[in-house]
Amino acid sequence: MALDVLVSSLVAGVLIGTVLALVALGLTIIFGVMDIVNFAHGEFLMVGMYTGLLVAQGVGMEPLLTLPAAGAVGFLLGIVCYFGFVKFLLRGPMLAQLLGTFGLMLFLRNLALVFFGSEDRAIHHGILVGKSLALGMGVMIPATKLAAAILSVLAFICVWLFIHKTKTGKALQATAVNPQGARYVGIPTDKMNGLAWAIGGATVTIAGALLVNFWAVNPYVGLLFTMLAFTIVALGGFGSVPGAFVAGLIVGLITELPGIWDFISITLGWSWMSKVPMTSFKYTWVYLAYFIIMLISPKGLFGWKR
Amino acid sequence: MEALRSAFTFQKTDLWIGGVLASCLILFPLLGPSSFAMATMIQFLMFSIYGMGWNAIGGYGGQVDLGKAQYVGIGAYTTTVMLLRWDVPFWISMPIGMAIAVGWSFVIGYPLFKLKGHYFAIATIATSLVLKDLFEVWDFVGAAKGLHISPVKYPPPDFKRLIFREDIYYYYLLLAFFFIAILVINWFRHSRIGYQLRAIRDNEDLAKSLGINVHWSKIKTYALATAFVSAIGSFHAVYIKNIEPEDTMSLDISVLIALMAMLGGAGSLWGPIIGASILIPLKSYLKTWLGAKAGLVGIDLVIYAVIIMVVSAVEPRGIWGMLQRFKRKRN
Repeated sequence: MALDVLVSSLVAGVLIGTVLALVALGLTIIFGVMDIVNFAHGEFLMVGMYTGLLVAQGVGMEPLLTLPAAGAVGFLLGIVCYFGFVKFLLRGPMLAQLLGTFGLMLFLRNLALVFFGSEDRAIHHGILVGKSLALGMGVMIPATKLAAAILSVLAFICVWLFIHKTKTGKALQATAVNPQGARYVGIPTDKMNGLAWAIGGATVTIAGALLVNFWAVNPYVGLLFTMLAFTIVALGGFGSVPGAFVAGLIVGLITELPGIWDFISITLGWSWMSKVPMTSFKYTWVYLAYFIIMLISPKGLFGWKR
Repeated sequence: MEALRSAFTFQKTDLWIGGVLASCLILFPLLGPSSFAMATMIQFLMFSIYGMGWNAIGGYGGQVDLGKAQYVGIGAYTTTVMLLRWDVPFWISMPIGMAIAVGWSFVIGYPLFKLKGHYFAIATIATSLVLKDLFEVWDFVGAAKGLHISPVKYPPPDFKRLIFREDIYYYYLLLAFFFIAILVINWFRHSRIGYQLRAIRDNEDLAKSLGINVHWSKIKTYALATAFVSAIGSFHAVYIKNIEPEDTMSLDISVLIALMAMLGGAGSLWGPIIGASILIPLKSYLKTWLGAKAGLVGIDLVIYAVIIMVVSAVEPRGIWGMLQRFKRKRN
């Protein structure tokens, strides 16, 4: 009776964790390459969610096939943001960079509010919607979440291969380690920064198009994901790609703490535990986790950059 | 005594600016402003004081704090809860709120200031969001619905509880707070700790090697900034009379506070005031004109966001920094 609660929360945590890892991937790449924290990251995700939603509903396409469109939009968005705006922020102090990307966040969020209104929108069609995989013991996995998790892992592998196995990827790494040295050996670091933003944008919009299959979208959805992504990046280590993956899984499990809490409360039979409104604190634990991680180990699990 | 003297020591330019500003602000209600203009001015004064508090740690100390809204919330909630439950007058609940806020700022300031730069900024957001989440489920403080002070219960004008029907009372009270805040900041920037903090901002390692206790100086300044914000948070509660976690403690408020100081010029006495005098009227006019009349929800914030982006990309030193540069060029 109680065990299925535990197993289904663990499974749900791992599934959402892989998608969250993909969300955080772009943030960690951008931070690793150019030491700038992108507050608009969650808003990029929102753009991806709306793209997925509008393409799927407008053309009547299968929602999972909208990923290339979302990726292309994110790629362009990243390039436009970097060359049109972020490039100019780099001259200023850190305060200007923080508030600048915060301005970008407000801009995208409220532009979405003007165009789409504040109501929640969700996808209700597609071959996977409503289907689920029975795992036995009464544990069900929604097919949309499973597909999102698998595709996230695939996207993650693709980015990892790109960074580690191609020449451009190695140039990107070089820019991250030492921009001045990279410039000396003839790497166009400005273009590499732009590329980091483009990859960051593309991965996060793809994650958005995956998320929208089971997560309703509204213009305010971004902040939560920005904070989740910050936590993942802090835990995994700023600038670390494998760190983002491991930390994504951990944070996914943290968001499922209410289920684990229920399991303990049922197993031990303590009634006071079931009275605690754990679901309201679902994300509070994530913020707390960020705080504690930063205090114990500012470098995170796999961090190399401070 | 020494502290009082340094609080009243102004340079000649500052004295001129302060004098003109003070007479304008004192005479403003005599012009017979509309209630909308009055409300905007009150918002301007409130946010100037928030901004001055932020400026102590963010401008002079260079520590980008994006969690000031949690102290607005602590001040506002302390005053409201004490008034509604035990009928405690404002003049007692405000210092208690300040004490709670300062205590909390020590508790979280101690670990927070072990972090630097971006890490510090994001951690301040995280603490602020944790507190907001807590207040949203805490029944004692009204949970997500918030608390409401009914002015009918207290026959206005009530100087003990600060419940008035006309905004003009609030305006002059706030103006008094405003002048006190300027004096305190003036003391701060001439004080030992003010100089220490500027040294930390310019070069932390060097400051440490000079024997400055960097961690403790930051915590003390953070507590000072907190006291400012919490006092005006209490005022916010009796003025607005309706407080919810969403509009007292949201990230937008924290960022607005930091943004005003940056727009005006972080690390200068007049910076936050200049910033507030531009952003607050702009925000309320944009909201009423574009937001309500054209039926375009969000367009005001789009314009507002564009201003933030342009300022941070073009002139990160703010308007005061720009003026200083002109002055130096002319000489």
